[in-house]
Amino acid sequence: MASAQLRDTRRRIRSVEATKKITRAMELIAASRIPKAQARVHASKPYTAKLIEVIENVGAADAGGSHKLLERRDPNRVGLLIVSSDRGLAGAYSSSIIRLSEARAIELEREGKDVVIYAIGKKAQSYFRYRGYHIEQAYLGVTDTPGYGDARAVGNRVMEDYAVGRIDVLEVFYTRFESAMTQVPTHQELLPITPPEMEEEERGVRVSYGFEPSPEEILNRLLPTYVEAIIFNMLLEASASEHNARRRAMKAATDNAEELIKTLTVQANRARQAEITTAITEIVGGAEAMVGS
Amino acid sequence: MAKTFQVDVVSPEATVWSGRATIMIARTPEGELGIMADHEPLMATCATGPIEIEAESGERTTIGVHGGFLQVLDNQVTLITDRAEVAKSHAEAKETAQRLAAEDAEASDDA
Repeated sequence: MASAQLRDTRRRIRSVEATKKITRAMELIAASRIPKAQARVHASKPYTAKLIEVIENVGAADAGGSHKLLERRDPNRVGLLIVSSDRGLAGAYSSSIIRLSEARAIELEREGKDVVIYAIGKKAQSYFRYRGYHIEQAYLGVTDTPGYGDARAVGNRVMEDYAVGRIDVLEVFYTRFESAMTQVPTHQELLPITPPEMEEEERGVRVSYGFEPSPEEILNRLLPTYVEAIIFNMLLEASASEHNARRRAMKAATDNAEELIKTLTVQANRARQAEITTAITEIVGGAEAMVGS
Repeated sequence: MAKTFQVDVVSPEATVWSGRATIMIARTPEGELGIMADHEPLMATCATGPIEIEAESGERTTIGVHGGFLQVLDNQVTLITDRAEVAKSHAEAKETAQRLAAEDAEASDDA
């Protein structure tokens, strides 16, 4: 009969093995999603680049033009758009972006400004709700595979709030996907739009365009598109970063489980050995007692 | 041989078409717009509908497009669009464009 210690250890090995299977599966799922997420980040780059180019050209041709999304106001009400994840088990992915944005929120409140939060992902939503921040809007189920429609929904909402004065500035927090090895929590201002800088000498030599319809109207439509594109890009990068973080966290968990199984197996073997030794000692002892009698 | 110009059709999801072309027929809210090499600089909004590109090789491509902007500058045409899909024929492109528009409206409604 197996001793209690041996049975316990074996049970623990089985349970760690089950956990390992789960973490391994999650690791593989996350890993399989990374290339696609990365490809999407890559595929959206030409669009954003071309869009910026066009805005520069229109801005140059229509020098006097102003637009409400470009106007700077006194920043009394600051919107924070925070891209986190819906699910956990991704290591420090959500907590580092939340830490960065909360530090900023505290700083703003100390300056006496109102903070309005737009949360993308359940993690940011529940964290800030629990701490009593005002969450204007939360978007769930977006971060896994963000579509352009999601970016548009977010974009429309923040631009509308900006237009009606619910927020005076919009700052975004997301995890930039630098490479497979590095993902950086990043903070940047999105509204008002900072027009892409033009070189002074370029300004004069720009060709005059034919516009169809008027430059103002085109700019009116270009700028919201630009905001949407930036948000889309952010969502894609954050998503790629999230899958990466999850893969890494699950790999670490799998490795830990393997390590633990090794240690426990040694323990179990030792216990088994001790049990056999005891049994032999008992038999030998018993036999000797019989010989003696 | 006819002069060619560079065409890039980009959407947020992908570069839909890129290459040298001899003629491109786009669609603006005002109507159809044919572009050949050395077209004057132009900035226009795009309507929902099919656009056609005849590539340098003579091959014709029809793309269903929903919304966006068209820039013509220095023999470079850039079409920046929300949604675009390559279609087999003109009629199909029309349908594609309408489907994209419908999908787009749906996605915005969800929010």
